[in-house]
Amino acid sequence: MKTERCRDWRESLGAYALGHLAAPERAALEAHLEGCPDCREEVKALSGVAVLLPHADPERFAAPAPQPPADLGERIAATVAAEGKRDLGRRKRRRFQLAFGGVAATAAVAALLTLVVLPGSGETTPEQQVQFASLPSGVAIDATLEPHSFGTEIHMYVSGIRSGTLCRVFLRGADGSRYPAGSFRYRWGEDSVAVLSSALDLSRTEAIGVHAGNRTFIAPVDQATVSVENETKEDAT
Amino acid sequence: MATGALSRERDVREAYAAHSGELYGFALRSLDDAGLAEEAVQETFLRAWRAGERFDPEIGSLRTWLFAILRNVVIDLGRARSVRPKVAESGIEPSVEPLDEALLSWQVEEAMRRIGDDHRRVLVETYYRGRPYAEVAAELGVPEGTVKSRVYYGLRALRVVLEEMGYED
Repeated sequence: MKTERCRDWRESLGAYALGHLAAPERAALEAHLEGCPDCREEVKALSGVAVLLPHADPERFAAPAPQPPADLGERIAATVAAEGKRDLGRRKRRRFQLAFGGVAATAAVAALLTLVVLPGSGETTPEQQVQFASLPSGVAIDATLEPHSFGTEIHMYVSGIRSGTLCRVFLRGADGSRYPAGSFRYRWGEDSVAVLSSALDLSRTEAIGVHAGNRTFIAPVDQATVSVENETKEDAT
Repeated sequence: MATGALSRERDVREAYAAHSGELYGFALRSLDDAGLAEEAVQETFLRAWRAGERFDPEIGSLRTWLFAILRNVVIDLGRARSVRPKVAESGIEPSVEPLDEALLSWQVEEAMRRIGDDHRRVLVETYYRGRPYAEVAAELGVPEGTVKSRVYYGLRALRVVLEEMGYED
């Protein structure tokens, strides 16, 4: 019996919560509520929503939800990727500086070439640290080169050049041919890192160059050092 | 987002796919400037990424966490540009901060968008336009009892959507 009465009243509870019921109907419903905890509970839940309605503007929700620009996700992903690589680069560079800090500080005369075997996880992948010498005052460029089956991965750090400068990077093979490694735009900040790749094998790479503004900076890659550790040196002649 | 942590680039992409629309909607609602809203969303994901290890799914959902970050970003942006977060003209309780009011308004409006057309329609006509149920029923070509029941189910649907959106009363 009771449930049947509830069913009769249930669908008026919304109008009641919104204060839309005329006096006689409201009084009758309230008489039911007196004796029905279930319906009272339901009214409480509906009233919790009803009090929120004044916060919404019907003109606004009549319009479709605004969407962010289509490329925003990609831009965020690119920034996150760059930050991730920079953090990785910082960690690597920290190791590098721990090992060779003293030398690096004083070896501004020529490009400093070092081979670092990354510790941990039993890897013996050799990576090559290259610093560019003869740079304008205040400018710093260095790079980490890692051998891969596809060629060479390059992490290039730049600081001190004009923000917005286009930098084009290439590797030069032993035969003098240039292999493009892509381009990036330097943005002002504490420092900037770009992750690039080239099809040229690290074991065949003689030099790395970066064309920035209207100048080209080249640093030699020490082949002797590479081949000491590089297991693919057999096919590198 | 199995672990909930935002420590890999892929996690950020997934989080963006799942929540960027809402975050942008709220940012736009509170800043009332598409450029600033975009900046706010970008900054939110970058802060989330940098602090990814600190996210604890035991404490709250990723969505809640992102909204908390966005809220701070909006405050920062508002401060930096001396733009007061925009608030609705009506319905402001003096005790509610402007930004919280913007968040609440945005939530209710977003929930309204998500309920069924029939439910939204009767709520708009009877509540926001204050029209009599009989008139709305005649216009829709349904019995008055149907309008009443749609108001009931509309409010229930709104409650469910708001709960899904993390609203707690």
